[in-house]
Amino acid sequence: MRELLRSGTGGGFVPPSSADFELPPVFGHNIYTTKPILLVFLSVILISVFFILASRKAAIVPSKLQFAGESVYSFVRNDLAKDVIGHDFLRFVPYLFTLFTFILVNNIFGIIPLLQFPSMSRVSFPYVLAITIYLVFHYVGIRKQGAIKYFKEIMFMPGVPKAAYILITPLEILTFFVVRPLTLALRLFANMFAGHLLLLVFILGGDHLLQGVIGLKLISPFAFGIGIVLTFFEFMVQCLQAYIFTLLAALYIAGALADEH
Amino acid sequence: MAKREESAMWSIFGYLLSGLLFWGGVGYGLDHWLGKSYFTLIGLLVGVSGAIYLVWLRFGRE
Repeated sequence: MRELLRSGTGGGFVPPSSADFELPPVFGHNIYTTKPILLVFLSVILISVFFILASRKAAIVPSKLQFAGESVYSFVRNDLAKDVIGHDFLRFVPYLFTLFTFILVNNIFGIIPLLQFPSMSRVSFPYVLAITIYLVFHYVGIRKQGAIKYFKEIMFMPGVPKAAYILITPLEILTFFVVRPLTLALRLFANMFAGHLLLLVFILGGDHLLQGVIGLKLISPFAFGIGIVLTFFEFMVQCLQAYIFTLLAALYIAGALADEH
Repeated sequence: MAKREESAMWSIFGYLLSGLLFWGGVGYGLDHWLGKSYFTLIGLLVGVSGAIYLVWLRFGRE
């Protein structure tokens, strides 16, 4: 696709831009078959198949596959849900586990050869995930404490002089209802977007240098080399972002469950 | 513990951002309404102070 775009421009280097994220439909003109959407479906299939296979023949002495599946599960269950939410964590494990594996697989698609596109670099996907968290943690808080008490506790922190509420209550409301879900989505989106752009710069740059005069051809391996190093770096970022997203989701749920924030 | 620090960091970031957005926005509105140019700055400063106060209330009191 990119080759087509670039061949028309007469040889000058076209730096990658946000246009590189707007991919055309794969099948005909159906806008619901763009690459990110197909990747999301693929991720759901992959995750389902992996965990069904891993848990189907569960044994006391686990096979390699079962061990891998259980490691991921126990990581989310113990390190994220149990540590952060505390008692009553068990009912949130399925949600957090789904969130973590879904984001992780979709992020890692960014560096898998041939797929090479992190679905989360299209901002709508993180938005939807953030909306689900938004609904979950407010719902949990309202159910646990009752609507009035829950909102009162968000807005009016106990032990503060009355005059200070004018200053800080708007900030609490804005933080809880706008900034938190928004930063949650944008952090994931921006990390994936920037990471993919960075890889495009070095790899397409290397490719472009390779087509230049001999002096430029000699520099090209360095650009590819940096591209490869950055690919490993991206792998780290992708895992980290999946972790942070899930961690913050768990923290917001924990905050809504706690009697005092 | 690393997790608590991570969470504290993002909460603080959230509060600072809200402070700047809300009181900075109020200041910007006042500037537009009254035709002045210094309320935005005052608003931003008030917002950051409020946010830092809030951070102190949340994390510094214990």
